[in-house]
Amino acid sequence: MKKAVLVLLCFVSLSAFAGEINVKVSGMVCSMCAQGIKKKFSKIEFVKDINVNLDDKIVIIKTEEGRDISDQQINDLIKEAGYNVANIERK
Amino acid sequence: MLRSFVGLLMFAYAFTAYSHPVIYKDGFVASSFNMSSYSDNQLLYTFSPKWATGLNHWRFTKGKDNTELGLARLNYLLWRKNGEDSQANIYLLSGAGVMDSEIGKKASREAYLGGFEADWETRTLYTALKYYHFTSPAVSDISMTQARVGISPFEAPFESLQSWFMVQAMYMPQVQKDVIITPMLRFFYKSVLWEMGSSTRGEWMLNLMVHY
Repeated sequence: MKKAVLVLLCFVSLSAFAGEINVKVSGMVCSMCAQGIKKKFSKIEFVKDINVNLDDKIVIIKTEEGRDISDQQINDLIKEAGYNVANIERK
Repeated sequence: MLRSFVGLLMFAYAFTAYSHPVIYKDGFVASSFNMSSYSDNQLLYTFSPKWATGLNHWRFTKGKDNTELGLARLNYLLWRKNGEDSQANIYLLSGAGVMDSEIGKKASREAYLGGFEADWETRTLYTALKYYHFTSPAVSDISMTQARVGISPFEAPFESLQSWFMVQAMYMPQVQKDVIITPMLRFFYKSVLWEMGSSTRGEWMLNLMVHY
């Protein structure tokens, strides 16, 4: 019974995810260097669009409906690009 | 041998877009810094967030004499501070290869590079300090110290043209006894950066850098 509820909850959370992840990144002051972030995330096949807002230091990642990127993977990719994640928010 | 190395470097340039000492993992950077007293061409690959390796050619000109170096490079990101609105870095630089010298003692010998680079920047302020020391047995050492300060008149959005006004002070005692002051303009757009300037002594500067 518990398993069924868990599966249902996972399904509901996946369906509810509209495909936009906002990642607040610290140290992102140079637009040329931030290109590395775009390159890293664009290698994920279900990522549709990546936008960088340097004013708010936010990377906006749009994925295919219902597809998500784990916090761990986001942290790893941002670190590989030379930055640190301050916050992750899903819309 | 040095000519072959330079040829290989130029060949690589033809097929690869163009250096910060270490950039993002799996990123290539090619850069070409040029003044009449020196040039520095690099092709580097960042194989981990902290390490980069690649090829590097240097030319120093003193009067009619040139000293050229071909080096294999290894750079290390020693320290980085990602602040909310700033970033600061310290890199260690190293290299090993061949020096073909006409400045001081004339000889071709193995050569080594050691140095560091430190920078601090925001979206509108830039400061950097670099030190390189080239050494080779039986050939005169060459050192170079570079300091830069820059200001950008506006905060350009991502993937828009960004402009900077900069001043560079450079000291290469074995090549020129005076400090060379060079005001310059820096622009970058997406993954391409270019700089143009002229020193207070009328020596031109043209630099290009591409991240790929």
